[in-house]
Amino acid sequence: MSAAAATGRAEALAARLPPLLLAAERVAATVAQGVHGRRRVGQGDSFWQFRPFSEGDPRSRIDWRQSAKSHRVYVRETEWEAAQTCFLWRDASASMRWHSARNLSDKRARAELLLLALAALLLKAGERVRLLDAGPLAGAAALAGLAEALDRAPASGSANPALPDDAPLPRFARIVMFGDFLAPLDEIRAMITRLAAIPVAGFLVQTLDPAERALPYDGRMRFLGLEGEPAALIPRVEAVREAYQHRLAAQIAGIADLARAARFGFFSHTTDQPPETALLALYTALA
Amino acid sequence: MRGVAAFGFASPWLLLALAGLPLLWWLLRVTPPAPRRQSFPAIRLLLGLPTKEETSARTPLWLLALRLLAAGLLIIGLAGPLREAGSALPGQGTVLLVIDNGWAAAADWSARIAAAQGILDRAARAGRDVALLATAPSADGSPPRLSPALPVAEARARLAALAPLPWPPDRDASARALAGVDGAGIVYLADGLASPGDPAFAGALKTAGHVLELRAPVPPRLLLPPRATAAALIARLAQIPGGATPPAAILAETGDGRTLARVALQFSPGAAIAERAIPLPPELRNQLARLVLAGPASAGGVVLLDERWRRRPVGLAAADATAADAPLIGDLYYLRRALAPFAEIREGDLARLLATKLAVLILADRPLGEGAEAEGVARFLAQGGVLVRFAGPRLAAHPDDFLPVPLLLGDRTLGGAMSWDKPAHLAPFPPGSPFAGLPTPAEVSIARQVLAEPSARLASETWASLSDGTPLVTSAARGPGRIVLFHVTANDDWSNLPLSGLFVDMLRRIVQLSAGVAATPDATPLAPAETLDGFGVLGPPPPAARALPANALATTPVGPAAPPGLYGPENAREARNLADGLPPLAASAAIAGAQQASLAAIGRTRDFGPLLLGMALALLALDLIVSLGLRGLLRPRLAGFTLLLALPLAAHAEWPASPNPALETRLAYVVTGDGAVDQVSRAGLAGLSDYVNQRTAAALATPAAVKPGEDDLSFYPLLYWPILADAPSPSPAEVNALNDYMSHGGIILIDTRDAAAGADFNPGGAAALRRLGQELAIPPLAPLTVDHVLARTFFLLRDFPGRYDGASVWVQRDQDRSNDSVSPVIIGANDWAAAWATDEDGHHPYAVIPGGDRQRLLAYRFGVNLVMYALTGNYKGDQVHVPAILERLGQ
Repeated sequence: MSAAAATGRAEALAARLPPLLLAAERVAATVAQGVHGRRRVGQGDSFWQFRPFSEGDPRSRIDWRQSAKSHRVYVRETEWEAAQTCFLWRDASASMRWHSARNLSDKRARAELLLLALAALLLKAGERVRLLDAGPLAGAAALAGLAEALDRAPASGSANPALPDDAPLPRFARIVMFGDFLAPLDEIRAMITRLAAIPVAGFLVQTLDPAERALPYDGRMRFLGLEGEPAALIPRVEAVREAYQHRLAAQIAGIADLARAARFGFFSHTTDQPPETALLALYTALA
Repeated sequence: MRGVAAFGFASPWLLLALAGLPLLWWLLRVTPPAPRRQSFPAIRLLLGLPTKEETSARTPLWLLALRLLAAGLLIIGLAGPLREAGSALPGQGTVLLVIDNGWAAAADWSARIAAAQGILDRAARAGRDVALLATAPSADGSPPRLSPALPVAEARARLAALAPLPWPPDRDASARALAGVDGAGIVYLADGLASPGDPAFAGALKTAGHVLELRAPVPPRLLLPPRATAAALIARLAQIPGGATPPAAILAETGDGRTLARVALQFSPGAAIAERAIPLPPELRNQLARLVLAGPASAGGVVLLDERWRRRPVGLAAADATAADAPLIGDLYYLRRALAPFAEIREGDLARLLATKLAVLILADRPLGEGAEAEGVARFLAQGGVLVRFAGPRLAAHPDDFLPVPLLLGDRTLGGAMSWDKPAHLAPFPPGSPFAGLPTPAEVSIARQVLAEPSARLASETWASLSDGTPLVTSAARGPGRIVLFHVTANDDWSNLPLSGLFVDMLRRIVQLSAGVAATPDATPLAPAETLDGFGVLGPPPPAARALPANALATTPVGPAAPPGLYGPENAREARNLADGLPPLAASAAIAGAQQASLAAIGRTRDFGPLLLGMALALLALDLIVSLGLRGLLRPRLAGFTLLLALPLAAHAEWPASPNPALETRLAYVVTGDGAVDQVSRAGLAGLSDYVNQRTAAALATPAAVKPGEDDLSFYPLLYWPILADAPSPSPAEVNALNDYMSHGGIILIDTRDAAAGADFNPGGAAALRRLGQELAIPPLAPLTVDHVLARTFFLLRDFPGRYDGASVWVQRDQDRSNDSVSPVIIGANDWAAAWATDEDGHHPYAVIPGGDRQRLLAYRFGVNLVMYALTGNYKGDQVHVPAILERLGQ
């Protein structure tokens, strides 16, 4: 999927929802101007207070209409409005490039589609988006840049591409992570703990293939990993299906527990479901 | 015993491997199938999962059955299953193969050899040795000999060297060769003809062992020497009376192998001999060298013709040999030219001519002397010769004894300077005369003649007379011979008869009247020059052939010493035919106590091994595909590709056999149902198409055979329709199709092929056309003239010959503007297709009559004009009006 096509699909998907303004209790300390009022005097469009002119104020800042009502000279001050930056990350590992049937999209394509749709909604609301390992982006051209960055940026040099690496994050930033999160729970716990300590508000979206949920195979099979795992020869797949499904449920429940403990959001999504439902769930969770 | 089939194996011990199949079953059951391979991202969750049961997956039962079936087929196929048709070998021990290899075995020799090979195959499998006995005496004259018992491979080589011989088998000698053999299994390939030695031979076979007698289903036939009559050669074919009577055909061939005529023969039930006249004009009949029975080659199907049937040598003698040669006025000048086309002319002085064999002796104004000359002529007449004399001043002055009627001394002059009479003309020929039926041209006039002495017998001896009743040609029998006198000279001194075409016809009738040259057999030894082999091909004589006395040529029994063939010196070959020295054909009695079977029932063994191996390989290939599919390695695209590879094999046979007739221009002929006529039509149109393609810009494809009413005729510009004398009336559908074709611009060339019906070539065509044509919408017709467009569409033509020349060609009389003035039908009788026909080598299989390259060229030119007429219509018609246009311009 080329960057332009990906942008087009994501915009079409996002067009069905209103612009998404992040519900931010605490906005990250950035200098970028945005829509989140900081209850402080500063750069912004909305009125904050009048204060008497004092020595050193530039004359151009005098509010002459207010000054004419009395004998004092007042200066108009605006509220400091800052933008919230939402960091986005998706799992770019080889295991994401997999689909069990010809008519299903692979997991990474679905993850990137959701990522771009979310970014489109945020950008429409004036928020800033940013890939975890790329620069901040805002404005109308940001979406195309984001799609190009997704195409260009493989998860380079990180020890475990299935999880976000130790990029420096500003405090109180938001991060939304897309991936299959099939890594061992310990690794996921370490990652969440690290993020929660910054502190950062996080959200995990797990994208799974239906075959990974159901294990719909029979007979004697040799399973091959996509990331160099040892092969698994199962004499009768139907015999282990139930055990496998238990393991998967345990993995998902473990991630959910970890997320809840860190006050992160989490939901799991399969590629045979329409992307709209996942996007709506994200919207309601983030707004 | 027919139809009994025995199954066997070439290498039966291989079947032991079938015992291994249960082991294979067990192995296949125990070994689990190869696992399917599947990539899976969540493999980490699968690793180390506890497996509840250890029962491994098993190969599906149907796949197991498929593999076992393939293995079984492979083993059985390698063991080489065989099917043997017909009877089993008789007896035990050595197999004695007795083969009749006389002339009667030649016609179906290949079937006999195939049966013998089948016997050898069986003997090889049974491990029995084979001894061979060929019953005909060999070409070096030695009697039949029994070979020692040989291994089969050696016997096979000897069998391959065996060939049929052009004489009957010697069963007496064969019986002697069998003496002392005991307890063998005997297979006897009999030719089915009785011979004197049969009882002794049957007895010898019976004492030698168990006998299996094989006979051909079709008994042999023997072509007898033809009978010659004045009008035709009558071919005769002999067979064993009472058997099946399939129709036969006899070809009359020239020395260089061209076929001049083909006649069909049908035996009446129970008849031993069938006869059929071969109608040929004398000039063609003289070219015949042999008659051949159509079908498989055999010495019994060939009759060689020699002088007796062929030559009508004519001797010419005049009183003054030097003056006789003078151009335009010589005595022999006109005779020579009139006779040359159909007779062999010999000239010289009378004594030398009388020493050779002559059918006709012509003396032009030459009185016969007393003594040796008169005796010689009398002997010639006594042998059946025809003496033709022409009058003249010398004969008028010295009449001799060899005249049909007594003559008055001197001659009569009509219309001379001293006479009041006008030159006389011919009266129509009297009915009893051999000239009856010839036209009498008005321009023939007689100025001077010798006169016969009036007598009571004169009228009956007159063959031609003048309009006033004076005899002009008289004739009288003299013993077996005949004397004919023309009362005028042989040059134009006394009459202009020698200048007319009538003169040629009269001479032709006289020569036909004569018998062929009868051989005067004496004891002169004639050496064999060329002899027939068993298949009827002339070749050098065998070593044992000896010279035969001429008078014993026809009676000596045929054998290695006296094979059929041509005997005598080069200029006087005498034919000795197989039938000359053979008794009438009769069926031999079956050998008592022998097992009987048909030759055809002993086929070569059928081997099923390759078939089974092929099936096994196909099953294994199927198994491979299924296995790949079960392991998940088979991609739909790959399977499609495999199918595509297999498809061309199946699809290859499905190419359309006949192309769309609209794609190319092609001529067509109407299928008559007579295979020979259709073959001529096809060859003729193919030859014409080639000629047109070479000479013109038109491009014609291979001609098509059409059936009106069944095929769509609208694709063909020209339809050639030969009319058979016995053609059935066309059905309404055919009539409609042909009328529709003609009314929409098609041209039908109707050929009745009977221009030479007078010489018995395809008579009855015209009558058949009248019968068939009643239904067709044929417009009023007029003869085709040189002014017609058809005569100038490509070449400028004056004649329109085909195989024959001279018959009128008819086209539409009125100009039909709606059809571009193109005649929808062209009717003729010249048998054009035969003239156009070419064979595979580009030769012309049918001689044109009267002949000559010019006639064939003109026939092709007519064909080109016809094709151009059909393709361009009246395009060249404008030139017809050129004189009128010029005339108008002049005004």
